[in-house]
Amino acid sequence: MRHTATLTALVLLTASVSAQAQSTIKIGAITSVTGRFAEFGKMQLAGFKVGVAEVNRKGGVLGKKLELVIEDNASDVNKGLAGAERLVNAGVPIVINEYSSSLVKAQAQYLARQKVPNLVVASSGDDITKPGSDYIFRLNQPATEYARVILNIFRDNKFKSMAIIAGTGAFEKSVADAAQTIAKEYGIQVMDDQRYDKGLTDFRPVLNRIKAKNPDGILMVSYAEDSVALMRQAREVGVKPRLFAGGAAGFALPDFVKDAGTAAENVVTATAWIPQLRYPGTQKLNVELKAALGGADPSYHAAQAYAGVLVAAEAVRRAGSADREKVKTALNALTMQTAYGPIVFKDYDGFRNQNPLAMIAQQVQGGAFVPVYPKTVIPKAIKFER
Amino acid sequence: MDSAQLTAFTQTLAQGLLTGGLYALIGTGLSLIFGVMKVINFAHGDFLAIGMFITLALFRAFHLDPYLSLLVAAPVGFALGYAIQRFVLARLGDRLSEASMLATLGLGLIISNTLLLTFGAQPQNINVPYAIQTVQLGGVQLSIPLIVAGLGTLASIGGLNYLLYRTELGRAIRATAQNPLGAELQGVKTTNIQAIVFGLGVAFAAIAGVLLMPLLYAFPTVGENYTTKAFIVTVLGGLGNLPGAVVGGLVLGGIESLGAFYISNNYRDAYGLVAFLLVLLLKPEGLFGKTVKRV
Repeated sequence: MRHTATLTALVLLTASVSAQAQSTIKIGAITSVTGRFAEFGKMQLAGFKVGVAEVNRKGGVLGKKLELVIEDNASDVNKGLAGAERLVNAGVPIVINEYSSSLVKAQAQYLARQKVPNLVVASSGDDITKPGSDYIFRLNQPATEYARVILNIFRDNKFKSMAIIAGTGAFEKSVADAAQTIAKEYGIQVMDDQRYDKGLTDFRPVLNRIKAKNPDGILMVSYAEDSVALMRQAREVGVKPRLFAGGAAGFALPDFVKDAGTAAENVVTATAWIPQLRYPGTQKLNVELKAALGGADPSYHAAQAYAGVLVAAEAVRRAGSADREKVKTALNALTMQTAYGPIVFKDYDGFRNQNPLAMIAQQVQGGAFVPVYPKTVIPKAIKFER
Repeated sequence: MDSAQLTAFTQTLAQGLLTGGLYALIGTGLSLIFGVMKVINFAHGDFLAIGMFITLALFRAFHLDPYLSLLVAAPVGFALGYAIQRFVLARLGDRLSEASMLATLGLGLIISNTLLLTFGAQPQNINVPYAIQTVQLGGVQLSIPLIVAGLGTLASIGGLNYLLYRTELGRAIRATAQNPLGAELQGVKTTNIQAIVFGLGVAFAAIAGVLLMPLLYAFPTVGENYTTKAFIVTVLGGLGNLPGAVVGGLVLGGIESLGAFYISNNYRDAYGLVAFLLVLLLKPEGLFGKTVKRV
């Protein structure tokens, strides 16, 4: 609790020193300030800070300053639920919901049962908005899109076959399953699909097997440490597809390039947002996020958190009050353009209240990520392994 | 089997055996300790984690080549093991073996949590230029760090053999293993010998950790998995039987790799455990039974 109070104070301070409790509109946010997802939480806090500052600079919401009440779930599902409960009791009109799919799903379902609209900004498991609920909205891309952008590249370059290596976690499974479905749709043969439990460190036998089958593309979906191990061992066993591809997560982090070194070269990965996107305000957002992070490069999670604040504030503004039902109705009808991308909540393909936004692909070239897909990012040419 | 398949098979087997060599190194330490003191060291994997984190810390601080960390990690491991036997385990006296089991379990928890507080929970890598360098041997491609690990294992086990069978200290160790009271009566300082043996066992685990670091990432609980592996290896070969531990390690590495290659990677740990259960069921004294001379 004390932690929460300090954080709120921090955000308040940056937002407005003079703001009084009575003269603010409070919205809730849950993120992982501590625990194993703290790295992502740090990014989100920066995004929140930049978002709140921007809303308040432009006159706040309904004539009042915006205040973000941040609850730390400590990367733990029970603490997340307790935090959600506190936000429900605090009477916030809307809650911004964060990163890890397994935490977010529990928090989102609880909030939906309490009839509190919640806006998921970073979690990508398909099952959060599929089937979803009237009270759950998501502005970031679902896992299916992570697979689609990679498979689009495979299809555009006439790949006939591919192999999949993926973890068994909720996110990895979602992406790998989606890749299977899309591959069928595109007529790409899946020659091997190996799922592995967390803790596996030796991928050599699988990579040897895939090497013998010699597919055109390999899609890997895993968190940070595994992505480094996978690429090192892939180079080590000498498997050589035309392209190695990662489904975001571990592969999209700056640490992947740093730790894997030359093994990471030419690896393509899906990502949700990059500063090179040509949406209005993207450059400016990147500069502000970087400042909020003390000079470090922001990941897409920061941009998502920023967009979450803007969308939540806009929903309250359009609702004309802090009434939860009115905010929910406002979200349903909302369309807006943010530096993260266009926001509109739609029902499609079994998703409910999902923002239909495409992913971007980037490739490691010369030790740095460069955008390679789609055309809107002014892509560089993709480099192939063979 | 066409040639691509054959190469894949040979490569998988070779990598499995090299990984198995590391298991053997870890298992040898565990087996040595059991052979002399009848103590099963449940903190064995955590000593391996210490070796990994020493390498990581030295690399981060001084950019020291991981293999040079051996010069630090092995003596630190030995000193730590020596102190633990001398000041913790020896004080438990002749109580039931549960006491030493609980003590080593507790030590393991202390080590992994200290590492957690010092280095954090996130997995950490070091990036060395030769991490992905390979050599080609007749179509089979093997990584340099994996081969170095294999050679390191050979050297360590060879060194241990020399120590045990060619030196006065080795004779004292073997005597202590055979009959502590008898050795004591012959003037062997068994408390000292036992501490040296524990130190050697821990040093072996730390060496394995150093050899693993260029291949793998370190995190505070990395040892858990290796304690299990070491235990399987020693049971396969017969507890306290050093050559048995070496063969047990190679067998485990081979079984895991080929199982993952032909069946599925998902049950990787299960292949070793199945072999473990089969040995316990059919030949409880280990694959080599009592026919091989013990330490």
